[in-house]
Amino acid sequence: MNTRQPVRIVISVMMVLSVMAGTVWAETVFVQAKTAQLRAGKTSLDPVVANVKYGEALEVRKTEGKWMEVETGSGITGWIFSNKTTTVKPSGSEDELSKLGRSFRGKEASDATASAGARGLDKVSEEYAKRSGISKRDRDTVDRMTAYKITDQEVEEFLKKGELGEYAK
Amino acid sequence: MNMRNSRAIAAAITFGTIAMVAAWTDINLAADKKSGGPRFGDILGGLGTIVGGLLPIGYEEEQSIGKAIALQVIARSGGTLEQPELVRYVNLVGQAVALTSDRPDIPYHFAVLKDDSINAFAAPAGYVFVTNGLLKQVRNEAELAGVLGHEIAHVSQKHILEVIQRSKQLAGVSQAGLAAAHQNPQAFKNVIDTAVKKLLDEGLDQEKEIEADKLGDAFAARVGYDPTAYPALLARLRTLKGDDAAFFKTHPNFSARIDAVQNTIQSQGLKANGVLLADRFARRS
Repeated sequence: MNTRQPVRIVISVMMVLSVMAGTVWAETVFVQAKTAQLRAGKTSLDPVVANVKYGEALEVRKTEGKWMEVETGSGITGWIFSNKTTTVKPSGSEDELSKLGRSFRGKEASDATASAGARGLDKVSEEYAKRSGISKRDRDTVDRMTAYKITDQEVEEFLKKGELGEYAK
Repeated sequence: MNMRNSRAIAAAITFGTIAMVAAWTDINLAADKKSGGPRFGDILGGLGTIVGGLLPIGYEEEQSIGKAIALQVIARSGGTLEQPELVRYVNLVGQAVALTSDRPDIPYHFAVLKDDSINAFAAPAGYVFVTNGLLKQVRNEAELAGVLGHEIAHVSQKHILEVIQRSKQLAGVSQAGLAAAHQNPQAFKNVIDTAVKKLLDEGLDQEKEIEADKLGDAFAARVGYDPTAYPALLARLRTLKGDDAAFFKTHPNFSARIDAVQNTIQSQGLKANGVLLADRFARRS
């Protein structure tokens, strides 16, 4: 009998178990913010090493306080403020059923609303306003409200000044 | 909803509809033989319309619906306050909460209504309104974040879109989509008017309001605001107005809402070590 055989089996089993352990124990979280930054350290003062987007999957390496060390799909490692992550994969603004519904309802719907968010009232809401007798002043108000923009950078500055989120002391 | 479930439901709806259309076709083919009968292409087109009407409303359509409802909210409230610093401040607080909400990937738009009554509203696609009357009762930024969080939760949970899905049946139209709006603007108007009546006059289902309270406070806490600020505002409004069911016909009574939020703070472990930012709120900048 080959005495090396049991040793080989034990080593093989250990290798398989170690691979399985890596798969089972590695926690995946998803970005739960429109945008978020991975930083070189676990404070908001540390330099940004990568920007990640809503829904992006991140592998957790360790957690310390409100910060997590994570690795992106492209292999970048950094720290993220844990309140900007979730363990449940976000479905996005339009789930699969909604997309399917839109495709069934046809191209006409897509054409009618192309860039609807960027401009003011689209044809449908304009027609609704006319039929409902809504004044030009009120239509202009919705147009202004729709067009009003606050950039993500302005929000970050606002959070920083208020010592909110990852800028909390 | 995961992909596998979505496909299963979509397949069930599709096959169910095919079966219905097939049965309808069998019945009508004989009757239509004299006039040449329905064309296969027409049947397929009708199939797409029916299936599309049964499936959820997509974001592009949500935008048109949201704007239409926003028009009614503004028209019935006498317009919005046009004070640039206030508008910017409310939008900054709202965006801060929205960006880490459960639906951060759509644009949100915030405005203050001239109305002196105490209320706030949300329309689909991220249109959020707070009345000047409510703003006068707010004492710090954390309370405002809780109010805006509540409305953002209505958007993230698509509460109003659920009303639309139901109201399009009441309005007797097969779909609330834009294709239908082009073909029959009056049907679209009927659907929107029903939703506006529900939103502004009758109120959403009470459990939706409680859900929005709980989620909204969690969203505000996620940004770093003190989660006890929002129930403190609700308690102050209860002192001011009481638990008068007639006055708050569009919302559950304050006691039930305060209990629900406080239970959430405990069960979710939301820590009361966030900020209030009363000074910044007083400056509105």
